[in-house]
Amino acid sequence: MAKNIIIIGGGPAGMEASARLDALGYTVFLVEKEKALGGHLARWDRLFPEGKPAGPVLDSLVGNLGNTKVLLESDVLSLNRLGDSFRISLSSGVSVIADAVLLTTGFDLFEASKKEEYGYGIYDHVVTNADVEEFFRTGGDPRIDNPQRIGLVHCVGSRDEKAGCRNCSKVCCATAVKQACELKAKFPAATVYCFYMDLRMFGRGYEDLYLKAQKEYGIRFIRGRVSEVSERIDKTLQIKAEDTLSSTPLRVTLDLLVLMAGMRPSREGTKVAKMIHLATGDDGFLSSLDGFGGMQATSIPGLFVAGAATGPKTLPDTIAEARAAASLIHEYLQKS
Amino acid sequence: MTPFYILQTDVPEVIDRIPGAYDHFILPYCAGIIFCLCWLGVGLVRVIANLSSSDRKALLLSFVNPVLIWKNLKDIFCDCLLHTKIWKRKPLLGFMHSAIAFGWFLLIVLGHLEVWLFAPRHLYLDNGSLFYPIFYRYFIWMNPGHTTLRGSLFFFLMDLCLLYVLAGIGLAIFKRFRSRLLGMKHTTKPSLMDRVALYSLWGIFPFRLLAESFTADLAGGSFLTLPANALLRFLFGDNLHFMPWWWAYSIVLGLFFVSLPFSRYMHILTEPLLILLRNAGIKVRHPRKGYAEAEIYACSSCGLCLDACPMNVQKKNLRFSSVYFIRFLRRHNEKKVNRIADKCLQCGKCLALCPVGVDSPAIRRRQRAAYNDRLAFDYSALKAPVPGGVSGAPVAGGGTPAPAGGKVMYFAGCMSHLTPRIIKAVLEVFRKAGEDFVFADENGGLCCGRPLLLAGKDRAAKTVIEANRKMIMESGCTTLVLSCPICLKVFKEEYKLQGIEVLHYTEYMDRLVAEGRLTLRKGEGSFVYHDPCELGRGCGIYDAPRRLVEGVGQLCKAEKEGDESVCCGGSLGSLTLSYDDRKRITAGALDNLLVNHPDRIVTACPLCLKTFSDASSDVPVVDIAELVAESTARV
Repeated sequence: MAKNIIIIGGGPAGMEASARLDALGYTVFLVEKEKALGGHLARWDRLFPEGKPAGPVLDSLVGNLGNTKVLLESDVLSLNRLGDSFRISLSSGVSVIADAVLLTTGFDLFEASKKEEYGYGIYDHVVTNADVEEFFRTGGDPRIDNPQRIGLVHCVGSRDEKAGCRNCSKVCCATAVKQACELKAKFPAATVYCFYMDLRMFGRGYEDLYLKAQKEYGIRFIRGRVSEVSERIDKTLQIKAEDTLSSTPLRVTLDLLVLMAGMRPSREGTKVAKMIHLATGDDGFLSSLDGFGGMQATSIPGLFVAGAATGPKTLPDTIAEARAAASLIHEYLQKS
Repeated sequence: MTPFYILQTDVPEVIDRIPGAYDHFILPYCAGIIFCLCWLGVGLVRVIANLSSSDRKALLLSFVNPVLIWKNLKDIFCDCLLHTKIWKRKPLLGFMHSAIAFGWFLLIVLGHLEVWLFAPRHLYLDNGSLFYPIFYRYFIWMNPGHTTLRGSLFFFLMDLCLLYVLAGIGLAIFKRFRSRLLGMKHTTKPSLMDRVALYSLWGIFPFRLLAESFTADLAGGSFLTLPANALLRFLFGDNLHFMPWWWAYSIVLGLFFVSLPFSRYMHILTEPLLILLRNAGIKVRHPRKGYAEAEIYACSSCGLCLDACPMNVQKKNLRFSSVYFIRFLRRHNEKKVNRIADKCLQCGKCLALCPVGVDSPAIRRRQRAAYNDRLAFDYSALKAPVPGGVSGAPVAGGGTPAPAGGKVMYFAGCMSHLTPRIIKAVLEVFRKAGEDFVFADENGGLCCGRPLLLAGKDRAAKTVIEANRKMIMESGCTTLVLSCPICLKVFKEEYKLQGIEVLHYTEYMDRLVAEGRLTLRKGEGSFVYHDPCELGRGCGIYDAPRRLVEGVGQLCKAEKEGDESVCCGGSLGSLTLSYDDRKRITAGALDNLLVNHPDRIVTACPLCLKTFSDASSDVPVVDIAELVAESTARV
């Protein structure tokens, strides 16, 4: 008899794990609160480091789902243990009893309006990294109006204890450099600045992207945080920052400011974790058994985690974790 | 029958019972009081010697200024004897303090008056003036049948005062075990000497009652001592057991005076000195010497600041409260003192609630300055503009010259620049009121200096204050409007802007409404107003913001507000408090605001706005400027 598996979160991790477990012959229920699968990937235009379009990546993830039962627009109302199995009930009225549960609840983007000094939602020409992707995907955003001076601020809601976010969000450096190049390509006459604390270009091909940004695109990298932004009468933005390499204060006038919003624990994931009494770390992300061999397991037998639910991850990391989780769940269900 | 009043004056009313007016039992008391007086004398000289010469001059001048003499007398009477400040907040606690202080004071005064009237020669030092008035009832014998109305009146008054004090002592004993019932959640842990002094203080008046009761049939008494005398006679058969009680009375008095200088009860004698120094306009200059020493010994260690301190939402932070800061200062415990000094949020609530008025936030700033003011700083940029960078000196209104006539300058300050919605709203209100104004730091300005002062970096603060002051004085404005209470406080206290009126924008907008230049539309919403520390306790502005809020909606009350308002937790004052601790304080402050379920939280400080906005998930937080901007039509 085929065993049931519930996967909560229909982003890349959830889809990849569903595809693998479906291929192994399990009955997989993939729960997603939105109208469509894809998570943040569905709202992204191109992926670093090569700038590969996100669409085909998403399409292949969806295409591999096989017989997976996808439950869209479903909020989790309750999740609890029944002996060795789990019982979940959803806002759509469906309830399922399963032998294993995988949480792929991902992350939320930091609400950029919380860093009020950057003026997101207050000034006309301040956008986030997600807005830029949306702009490239759909082609229209009144805030991005042929800008000639563009600034990108790294670490908005990352490495910022005052904002309650101590962690590095891992992907924003590469995303910022990628978007800086894309904006320069779109508006060739523009001057583009990146304001960074440290550049963490750790992955394969990332350093090449960084060098290309400097040599080919002429992006100006300034090491220092932006302290405040004000809007002038002509709606241009005046930012104050410090160039910490030359120890000089700076004042720059810009037409567009892009905030690299970081990764925060997803609200849905925290809610579901509370239901099943899964601990969260000090940073708010879900706790896995350990950071090495037990990365996909949790303190609760039969409950597994994958992807950015346990902390900021790149897309390749997420997909790898989803596969690891699928193989671990298979092993667990074979034993029981 | 005893005649009610006797006209014959040749018969003495009072006869010396003890020849020579001396008995050994007075020795413990005399030793105690002499020790205590010597100690106090030395302490007084120390405090005065450690004042700067200008402060000493100010103190001397205050003694010949009739206004200050009157203020001194009034303050000493109200604060040291009646304890009106405690009465206002906690009546039962106030009664307890005034009963012990004022009651005891009356007993001493009336006792001396009695001696002056009936045995005046004993007011001279060689005739026992040190102890005779204290143990008067032991030394005299009332001439039976010759008691006058005057004498009876004193018997009655003395008994009445004794009862008054005993009631206070009774409450004090009760409070030691059940402090909550007198309105205190936390109370301090007494030290060893505190205990010695405390138990002797508890003993003094019951022993006095017993001693005077035993001799009441000889030396006279009234409604309290005479029945007690009859009861004792009934119990013991005769009334000749009085010696042990007079000894006991003298011993507890002696013990009390010996332990007094080393205990919290030193505040009884130091508080008048502190009042004199404060009224002379003297400020704290050193964290341990001079004025601070007077404050340290004037601290009664009552622990009212424990409940006041916003850090104490967590019990582990009780040790950072002002009372312990003062205690460790008194003991010269440098390590602990530094740690506690840096932790404080500088919200000033302990000062607002302190019955003695010990300005411990100011002492903490002095303590911080002892180290931080020596740190190097570099403001050379203020003199020479940085090429290609931010120009050094702030430019008024982005280069536009200040308009002639009713010249209003708006200075937003760093914190408002971090919360641009406030600036946007303030500018909108300016425009709607048709005000002709210059925006001083539109393109970035200098720090007002207050955060530096809070950190104890006095010299650095002075540098920026001078630069800002120069900019403002040269602008030719007559009114300066500020949107940040942190700036407001330092502009008012340190800038010395002659001829320029310094206003917070809530005062300014309140005035615009009163003058009819702004009309507020009253809506449906209900609001709770959070008093920012620097605006309320710091600058005493409580009413103008409330009038504005009432103009646009319904104002509901917070649990604690006005000068008891709770710090939002975001204060720049603390140098070391962790973000986790701050979060708890913010959560506590929000609970305090939301007791009456308002629709929105309103505040008037960019820092409070930012702190609450991040923490309040259900109830939106707005600034008064936003509220006024959205409910104003141009007149």
